[in-house]
Amino acid sequence: MDKQNTDELLLDWQERVGAARQERDPQSLLDMIPYAAFIGAQAKVDDQRLLYWLDKRASNIGNPSLPAIHGGVIGGFLELAAAIEIIYSLNVTDMPKVVDFSLDYLRPGRYKTIYASCKVMRQGKKLVNVSAAAWQDDEQTPIATARCHFLI
Amino acid sequence: MAFDMTMALVRPVLKYALERNGHGAALGFTLDKLERGETHLTFPYREDLVGNPITGVVHGGTIVSLLDTACGCSAMTIQKKPSVTPTMDLRLDYMRPAQPRKPIYVEAKVYRQSSNVIFCRGVAWQDDKENPIAHCVANFMKVDSKSIQFRSIAWKKLRRLMPWRQTSVNDSEQK
Repeated sequence: MDKQNTDELLLDWQERVGAARQERDPQSLLDMIPYAAFIGAQAKVDDQRLLYWLDKRASNIGNPSLPAIHGGVIGGFLELAAAIEIIYSLNVTDMPKVVDFSLDYLRPGRYKTIYASCKVMRQGKKLVNVSAAAWQDDEQTPIATARCHFLI
Repeated sequence: MAFDMTMALVRPVLKYALERNGHGAALGFTLDKLERGETHLTFPYREDLVGNPITGVVHGGTIVSLLDTACGCSAMTIQKKPSVTPTMDLRLDYMRPAQPRKPIYVEAKVYRQSSNVIFCRGVAWQDDKENPIAHCVANFMKVDSKSIQFRSIAWKKLRRLMPWRQTSVNDSEQK
């Protein structure tokens, strides 16, 4: 991709980020990312915090005999949620770069909607630490928790 | 090396289960090598898996899925009687950004097996294996249950296809 084209895309992206914050519409950020559509991630503002969810779909199944959601989908979804959380809630307009990502699987992801929420634990000049949790029935019994560092 | 009958049976089943079903089919990778405790796979670049619309780099979640699949395969096949292994945790370090429009190669290997846990590590690279784009360690549980061994799952599926079975076959696997 040539440089001019990249600059244009970056300007367009920054404009959309500003608009999403003003209209309190995190979904418009997800719409820009092809991977979000691929797994079917959605987001909304749910009193004071952002709530992300992933409706069940056949292409996200990892173990067809249970059936259970693929562990990679849960990981990808939490990573995506953490990135959106940073873009939406901190003063960052570029796409944050993920440095590391650590995921604990606590329970199998059943074939139904997964919810997730994130919390920014620390924001430095360069690094941001975000923790994310995913659950299905009850927020108190998460199916997976994740911790990630992003460069901003 | 002696001929490994179990692997000769498991290999095509696992290849079919991962490449043609669910998320594996949606991602579209190919399993190149499937040995006991070692898995290699190749993922071609795809536009619809982009995570950064400005640079066109695939999303980190894709790499999580690929490494999880590869490590999981290695963990399942290392066991004497291959069975499903639930993932306990997975840690992923991104060394460098992936380049757009280039395939990603993944290799995963089991490096220790204790009585309850299987330890596995994997790398993902594009041009040079010595300069990987990501490195991961994943641990898997060994579950002592006959019902999740591959042979019992295969047997159950086979029985469902038998002509004398009266009930219909529209259970979970048709989703």
